[in-house]
Formats: sequence, C-alpha cells, structure tokens
Amino acid sequence: MSGGYGRYAAGRVAQAVVVVLLAYAFTFVVISVLPGDPVTSTLRDPQNGFTEEEIAAIVAYYGLDRPVHEQLWESLTRFLVGDFGVSLRSGLPVADLVGEVLWSTVVLALSALAVALVLAFAVAAGVRYLPPNRGQGVLRAFPSLFLSVPNFVIGLLLINVFAFQLGLFRVIDSEGPLATLFAAIALGIPVSAQVAEVLIANLDHEAGQEYASVARSRGLGRTGLLFRHLLKPSALPVVTVVALTVGELLGGAVITEKIFGRTGVGSLVERSVTTQDLPVLQAVVALAAVVFVVVNLAADLVYPLLDPRVRSGVAAARERAGVAA
Amino acid sequence: ATLAACGSGVAARQGGSGEPRQGGDLTFLIDSLGDTWIPNNSAISSFQGHIWGHVTDKLVYVDENGKTSPWVAREWEQNETATEFTLRLREGVTFSDGTPVDASAVVANLDTWSKGAPDKGINPIGLFPKTYQRSEAVDPTTVKVFFSAPALGFIPTLGYHGSILISPKTLALPAEEQADLSNDIGSGPFTVQSWKQGDSVVLQKRPDYDWAPEALSHSGPARLDTITYKIVAEPSLRTAAVRSNQADVAYNPSPQELASFKAQGFTTAAPRYLGFVSGFAINTKVAPYDDPRVRQALQHGIDRQEIISTVYTEDWLPAKSFFQSNVPGATDRSADFAFDAAKSARLLDEAGWARGADGLRSKDGKALELTLHPNPYLATSKSVDELVAQQLRELGFTVNIQAFDVVTYGERVKFNSPSVAAYEVTRSIIDAGTVAGVLTDANRGENWFGLGQSDPELVRLSAAVAGSSSTEERAPLLDELQGHVLRQGYYIPLTQIVQRLYVQTPKLQGVTYNGVAYANYYTAWLGE
Repeated sequence: MSGGYGRYAAGRVAQAVVVVLLAYAFTFVVISVLPGDPVTSTLRDPQNGFTEEEIAAIVAYYGLDRPVHEQLWESLTRFLVGDFGVSLRSGLPVADLVGEVLWSTVVLALSALAVALVLAFAVAAGVRYLPPNRGQGVLRAFPSLFLSVPNFVIGLLLINVFAFQLGLFRVIDSEGPLATLFAAIALGIPVSAQVAEVLIANLDHEAGQEYASVARSRGLGRTGLLFRHLLKPSALPVVTVVALTVGELLGGAVITEKIFGRTGVGSLVERSVTTQDLPVLQAVVALAAVVFVVVNLAADLVYPLLDPRVRSGVAAARERAGVAA
Repeated sequence: ATLAACGSGVAARQGGSGEPRQGGDLTFLIDSLGDTWIPNNSAISSFQGHIWGHVTDKLVYVDENGKTSPWVAREWEQNETATEFTLRLREGVTFSDGTPVDASAVVANLDTWSKGAPDKGINPIGLFPKTYQRSEAVDPTTVKVFFSAPALGFIPTLGYHGSILISPKTLALPAEEQADLSNDIGSGPFTVQSWKQGDSVVLQKRPDYDWAPEALSHSGPARLDTITYKIVAEPSLRTAAVRSNQADVAYNPSPQELASFKAQGFTTAAPRYLGFVSGFAINTKVAPYDDPRVRQALQHGIDRQEIISTVYTEDWLPAKSFFQSNVPGATDRSADFAFDAAKSARLLDEAGWARGADGLRSKDGKALELTLHPNPYLATSKSVDELVAQQLRELGFTVNIQAFDVVTYGERVKFNSPSVAAYEVTRSIIDAGTVAGVLTDANRGENWFGLGQSDPELVRLSAAVAGSSSTEERAPLLDELQGHVLRQGYYIPLTQIVQRLYVQTPKLQGVTYNGVAYANYYTAWLGE
C-alpha cells in the first residue's frame, strides 16, 4: 500500500513539474507574440534621439533579434538549471527581484486569508443566529455584496478613512502592522465572500438534516447546535474553497499592493507586465504555478484527515492504484 | 521672454520666507522610480533624475533659464571652430567612495556617455553630440575633448540630466551590479542610504560636500539630513498624503488639482524643461501635407489658447516658437503661427479642398484627413488631441485619433513613417543648436519632416546653425530658422510643456529647479 502511495505521490509531483514548465514556456510564447520588446521600446522613447544602429546594438546584446524558438530554448534550459536570468528592464537578477518581494506578499496573503476566514465565519454564524425576518436577509446578502465591490474601492476607502481621516497609519510606512492589516482587509473581503457563501449553504443544508432536528428536539440551543454539530461538517468544503482562493489572493495582491504602496509579487507583476519584462514574468508565473499546485495538493492530503468518510474513499483509491500497479 | 521664463518656478522658490534651518527629513511621493539604475540606461528617465540630481554632480550647471555656469568644471575654452574644448576641473572634489573626480575620471565618463558599453548592454546617453571623437587627460585637472564637427552644444549638454559624473569604479562594474543603486557612486551632496526596487530610495546628506555650483544660493553640506523618495502609484493618494501632513511633496498631481492646493496655502511648482514645445512634426511626404497651403491651414487652424484654458491651467504657457521660451536662442515667432480660422479656410479653398454637405472638405473624392497619435509618454496628450480634432473638424478636416500603448506606439508611430502625417514631439534639449540634427537628413540627421535636403533654405539655415562657432553668430540664424520652419508649417506648436508638477507643504522652503525642471533639495530646508 505504501508503494502505491509513493507512486501516487511521484505521479502528482511529476504532473506538477510539467505544469510549471508549461506555465514557464506558455508565458514566453504569449509575451513573444506581442509586438515589440522592452529594450527597444525604452530606447525608442523620442526623448532619447537614438539612431537605429545604436538601438540595434543593444537589442543584439540581449539576443532579442534572434528567432523566438532559439530564445525560448535558451530560457528553458537556463530555467532547468535554476537560472532565472536577468530582468530586461532593471538589469537586476530575476532571482533577487523575486526574492526581495516574496515575503511581503506571503505576509499579505496569509493575513488576508485570516481576515477572510474570520469574516466568513462571523457572517455565517450571524445568519444562523438571527431570525429570518430580523437582519438575517441583510447578512445573507453580504457575500454577494462583498464579491461585487472591487477591492480597489475598498482599499481606497480604507486608506482615506483610516490613514488620512483618523491617522491610524501612514501611507509611507506601507509595510507597518496596521497598514498591513488594512491591506489584508481590502484583499480579504472579496475572498471572504466565497468562503461565506459555501459556509452558509452548508450550514443551511446541515441544519435541515435529521440529526439536527433530533438535537433541536432534545432542547439544544442555537449555539450548542452550531458549534457541537453543524460547524464541523460544514467547514470541510471550505478547505477546497480556500485552496482555490490562492489565485484570487495572488491576483488581488496586484491591485491591493499598488494601492497600499506595498512592494510585493503583485506590484512586481504589474511593473513587469506593463514593461513586457519577460524573464521576470516567466519566473513569477512559474512561482504562482508552484504555489497553486502545492496548495491544491496539500488540500487533497488534508481533506481525508478531517473527514473519516473521505479517508475510506482515499484508502480505496489508493488500493485501486496499488492493484493497478 | 524673461518674464515668461521665470514663470512659476521662481514663484515657488519665493513661496516661503524665514531663516534656513539645519536638519530635517523630507518625504517625496512619486508615481514611479523608473525601471533601472544603470546610470546611462536610466539617465533620461524623468523619475530617476530626481535621485541622480542629489547623488551626482555635473561638469556644468544649467539653470531654469538655460544659463550655463561652472560646477565641477570651473572654466572651459574652445578653439575657433568649436571642435576642441578644454575643461579645467575644480580641485578637491571626490566621489563618495573616495576616488578623486579628476581628469581621468572625467574622460571615463565622457567615453561612457558618448559610446555606452554595447558589450554590457549599456547604451550611450541620448542627445550627446554624435560627433564626439575622444578626450584625454592632459593633467589631473585638465581634459581636452575632440569633435569631428563644430559642437557648440557640447558645454550645455554637460549640464543635461544624462551627463552625471559616476565613479570610474562603478563604470567598470558589470551591468547587473550597476543596476544596484547602492553601487552607483557619485560625488553629489547626498548618498544612498538604502533602496528597494519598485518601492523607495532613502538618501542621506554627505557631511564633507563642498563643491556646489556657484549659481546656487547655498554652499557646503546640504541642510536636510535625509530625503525619502517613496513610490505611491495612485495620484490622489499622493496628494491626500501631503494634505494630511503625512508627506512633504507630491509629484505629478493632476493639473486640475493645483488651484485647490494653492487656495489652501500649499506651494505648487510647474517648472518647464528646456526643449521643444509640445507640437506636431509634419511629414511632408504624406499627401495632402506635401502641399504647403494645407500645412499652413493646419498651422493657423489651431486655437492654442483654448487648449490652455480647457486642458491645462494658467501654469502652462502659450508656445512662442517650436522651442520652449526658456531655451537660449528661442525667439518670439508667435505671429508666424497665430490662430486665424478665416485664413486657414481661405488656404484650403485655394488648395482645392471644398466643403461638402456635412461641412467636411474633400478634393477629387478624397477626404481631407488627419490621423493623430497621442504621445503615450505625455499624460495629457490624448485630451489635447481630442480638442485639436474638434477645432480642425470645424475647418473641414476629417480627424481620426488612434491611441496606442507605449510599446505599440514605439513600433508603429515614428518620425517620417508613411502612415504618420503628424508626429507628436516631446524632446528636451539643452542647446538650440541640436535642432540642426533633426530637421534634414544631412549628416545622418533625423529628418523629422521627411524633406531630406529638398528645401534649400532649410538646408542652408541648418548647416549655418550647425557650423556656427559662437552664440552671437548663431542667434540671427536661429531666429530665421524658427521663422522658416513655422511659416512652412513643418512644425505645428501646441503649448509649452510642463512635464513635472510639484505640490508641497508650505514648510518646505528654498527649493531650486534646474534647466530640466527637477526639484533640487540641496538648497532646501524644512521650516516651522
């Protein structure tokens, strides 16, 4: 059985490596079909007044005049030995650029996730507590409201009220604890909506089950019912949703970081996209692919630990895998 | 012209009164700090120039009126033909790594500015005279520089934002290491304390600095202890932070915000750089702009005052020539392109462009068409073009506006391209003589108007300007040249350009603006 699991794990890892490589190559192709390149467009700024010969010499240095397939092959072989190359715009090594901003985004994403979970559980619990005609409807509308307000609007609002009106934090000190908290709130709110939706739906479903009616008929109050019986089975699908929100967190970070003046992966992506800085984009997309694959793999592995029903299903699947091998 | 040239820069400088104070930390919010810190590759950018202006020195100083005065070069002389220059350097100037700023360091910099380092992917600096041959260190404080043709623009170019003196040790580093700002060593009044790509740069004053240009009101070390440049991409947040006292200066507010800031007692500054005014270079090879009457109709068909009052504010000045009026040698040629819709209509009638039922003109079944490509490097360009289109439509032009992003623009919109009848120019220059290198294709000129050498008057005047060996001899020729280009409708000026706008706390005093409109905080202090 453990050999079967090992093969299963090896298969997943191989799959992940292929996904990452494809993401790396795909980014290259997508950016390469766009007209122009970052080096030429900088030099062509009419302020410069460079001659075509002067521009050609620099473009040749970066190898941007060679056929696309040659450039792709070189970038892939470099990537395989762990060399991410040099940014075409800043001239700095890509590994340094990404390394410098990674921590800031990890902190922001994890804080935003925490904010999202707290908010989602609060809203879902509120729905169960409030009677249908007194405020419950309003709370039920929260997820779709949160989902439909763009996070830059939330961000600008938070900054205007808490930084400029109340002076709780300074926009200059963008990585400070309070600035980070408010950035996490701006990023976490839309994410909380998805979690809350799933949670509310599951709580509704579980509350309609026979065991819940039995518990209620035995005189169990709202709180007891919620925490002792309903929450655990309802929380399971949340794990899946959280794994899927990684993309949301990374995508939302682009805007949130820009608004809060944070220097993270998001702002690096934003700068690199606008300047077509291919080596940086390739590295960031590969990194995002790694994060995505790892988080979803982790979710798959955590799930059985939380739910015995799934555990037996996985055991069966593993056995099937073992038998097939 | 002098009054116009002083403009708002001076007003801003006199914004505060009181005794200068020592110490203090300045926070400057900026939309970007550009892409790279490799000195040559970044020097042209309007963002990095703020940092270079404090970390590095130049050989000569050029003030906001284009006046050139000594700095690291204490004096200079030229031969009769303006092809050989001798620079005498100030003694005792050092880079912050201890290397002296001597003749050999200056030679290393001159070579780098003119040639770049193509083997490292480092480009030359734009607009350095392309006739540069070589330079040599005669003794530790004397440099001789040789050109293959008269180069009157050489000395002013030394005060241009690209000509920053960098330690030879830095210049010898590979590009990857030059891209790390901490390695870029200058001799300026500030040094880099820390920096983070895409986030901020913190400068600290250099205590032993003692070689400021005499033209500045201050000498010795800077008064401020530190300057923090912090990127805040959202313009409204930059200005809100200054309003709520969280920062001292906000760069590039929207022009419409200036009035409300002034009303609240904040200081604003809209210094102009030295260069071409915003305007169109017309490609005379593209029909119907091969007909001088159509070009002249365009020239007199634009109401420039309406552009200033609609898109801009009173901080923008009307164009008087195709040069900004603070460029030495620029003359007032307003009459050559004055707004006169009736004259434009008459010219178009004469050229055979008749109005149809819809009011639009055509000839032999072809519409009188003009396509404008807003300059993506200038934020207000699209609004200006929309207004110009509206004005020209009234004259009977069919005007299309085709906007591209920076990358596509660079690919498709070029001087002299058969699909581009009107190219929107932004170009800073320090010396008016540079113009000779763009008007025709003589001496590998940029040939902005697609004329080649077909206009003998233009060829004669350009050659005479380029060949002048003194500014006195050149002045009347430049005046004649400006008149000719404008009357022929080759260059259609719109307004003078303000590319850098500043909103700052009234506590900040003593700020100086140089010839490329950068704020210099070496002279500044934070008052009560």
